[in-house]
Amino acid sequence: MRDARGFSLLEVLVATTVLTASLAALAQLFTIATRANSSAMATTCATVLAQEKMEQLRSLTWGFDTLGLPLTDTSTDLTAASERGTGGTGLSPSPPNTLSRDIEGYVDYLDTFGRVLDRGPAPPEGAVYIRRWSVEPLPTNPGNTIVIQVLVTRRRTRGTADTAAGLRRQPDEAHVISVKTRKAS
Amino acid sequence: MLRPEDGFSLLEIVIATALMLLVTAGVFSMMDPAHGSFATEPEKADLQQRLRVGADTLSKDLIMAGAGAYLGTGVGSLSAFFAPVLPFRQGATGGDPAGAFATDRITMMYVPSTAAQTTLSADLTPISLALQVNTENGCPRNVSLCGFTSGMSVLVYDDSGAYDMFTITSVIGALAQVSINRPAGAATKTYEKDVTKVVEAVSHTYYLKTDEATETFQLMQYDGTSHAGVPVADHVVGLTFDYYGDPNPPVLKKPVSDPTGPWTTYGPKPPALRAKPTAYPAGENCTFTIDGTGLRMPRLAVLGGGNPTLVKLTPAQLTDGPWCPDETNPNRWDADLLRIRKVAVTLRVETAAKALRGPAGVLFTHGGTSRRGSRWVPDQEIRFQVTPRNLNLGR
Repeated sequence: MRDARGFSLLEVLVATTVLTASLAALAQLFTIATRANSSAMATTCATVLAQEKMEQLRSLTWGFDTLGLPLTDTSTDLTAASERGTGGTGLSPSPPNTLSRDIEGYVDYLDTFGRVLDRGPAPPEGAVYIRRWSVEPLPTNPGNTIVIQVLVTRRRTRGTADTAAGLRRQPDEAHVISVKTRKAS
Repeated sequence: MLRPEDGFSLLEIVIATALMLLVTAGVFSMMDPAHGSFATEPEKADLQQRLRVGADTLSKDLIMAGAGAYLGTGVGSLSAFFAPVLPFRQGATGGDPAGAFATDRITMMYVPSTAAQTTLSADLTPISLALQVNTENGCPRNVSLCGFTSGMSVLVYDDSGAYDMFTITSVIGALAQVSINRPAGAATKTYEKDVTKVVEAVSHTYYLKTDEATETFQLMQYDGTSHAGVPVADHVVGLTFDYYGDPNPPVLKKPVSDPTGPWTTYGPKPPALRAKPTAYPAGENCTFTIDGTGLRMPRLAVLGGGNPTLVKLTPAQLTDGPWCPDETNPNRWDADLLRIRKVAVTLRVETAAKALRGPAGVLFTHGGTSRRGSRWVPDQEIRFQVTPRNLNLGR
């Protein structure tokens, strides 16, 4: 190419293609940043919601009465927005698989602001988070110690995580485990 | 096609211009949303971080609320003596009057990991305010005053339901001079030697600082002393505390003559039958009365229809008495505050940049200048609950 010749059409085409490709790659960065931010917020929300349920469960009676006999809350319904004293199962041992299935009484559904929507067997309209929990007696001390687990997931198919043995936490999810033992005050 | 010294043909120019225009149009159409996310995404991350800091700070302190002395005599949760969670500001500067209630203020007290836990060896009188302590088993060896040092916040409490927070202003040998952590002129009672526990303690008050003129909206923490509050997080625009309490009133677990506690399910133990340490009749205190047959009965009501589930405590219930230690005490507190087992916190955070806030409404507490959804970072609100471990020991 001699001086004062200008570019050929081919050269212009190549140059614009390179420019477009690099700009498209750059634009991807914004998408990634946005996605990372919303994922961080979802994880934070899921963690807070999981801890909220854990604190609710931990506030139920699991102690001894004044005569020294074990006293367990087996009636509180935790699926309502503010827990009710009757109609629930409290801290009685949960059926197996309450963490991998939506089992009524051990699941509630929350909207994007963390408000409890419903307790039914299927997620209602507007549900964003699914919160499941389980209460299991500790095998070595079943009468006095319980293992409480809470799992908060986004409303989506968890796929093999729900069928595999054992529980796996996936991205954007929160899984909290706590152990509670009867204590005399 | 392109001969030497020739320019472009019209067709070539048209194609090249069209291509260039297309690419430029594409670039510009990407520019605007990209510019939007460039401005909003860092703000979103910042907002989320402030939300996390606020929630973490509050839950860590709330979980500790009520943790009591664990060395020497009279150990156990603070809730066996007085109410360690208060719905108002307590302290030397700007302290609320006794019996106040505010939905956006909370004070919690607890004993941190410390060796400074013992009993008074001389009466603490309102006149001298001099602190002298016994050397109990838990006290560090060869350290005067059981490890209490200048500047430390100390909690002084006895069996009657009376308590006070003091700051040690100076230490001279085995004697410390203290100042009371209540507004100037506040009276204190005389705390008797040997039966009064004295421990290093933490008192944290959380409240919102709202100043529309300078646009300061901060979550503040105040330590109860003459120091000013310190900000925890900026641009916090909502803070609400709800209290859930034990529906059952405290009952006696063993005779008060028994040398070791705990004597009650929670709250201070009643005095001996003929003793009258407070304005209540002999043998009674703010949580126990004596019926016609000489038996001790709970003074507080059963809430929630006899169900064991925690009940939401109303502001009225927490401010209407009965008062502990009695209604004449300048540092009195409502006996129902002893019921608190769980605290629900609602925290709302807004973005710091006015240019990223839309019109005031559901999404924005304080309106901003942005009129386009692509430049909005809405307020974030979370609600969480904390069950203070030391207020739930028997549950």
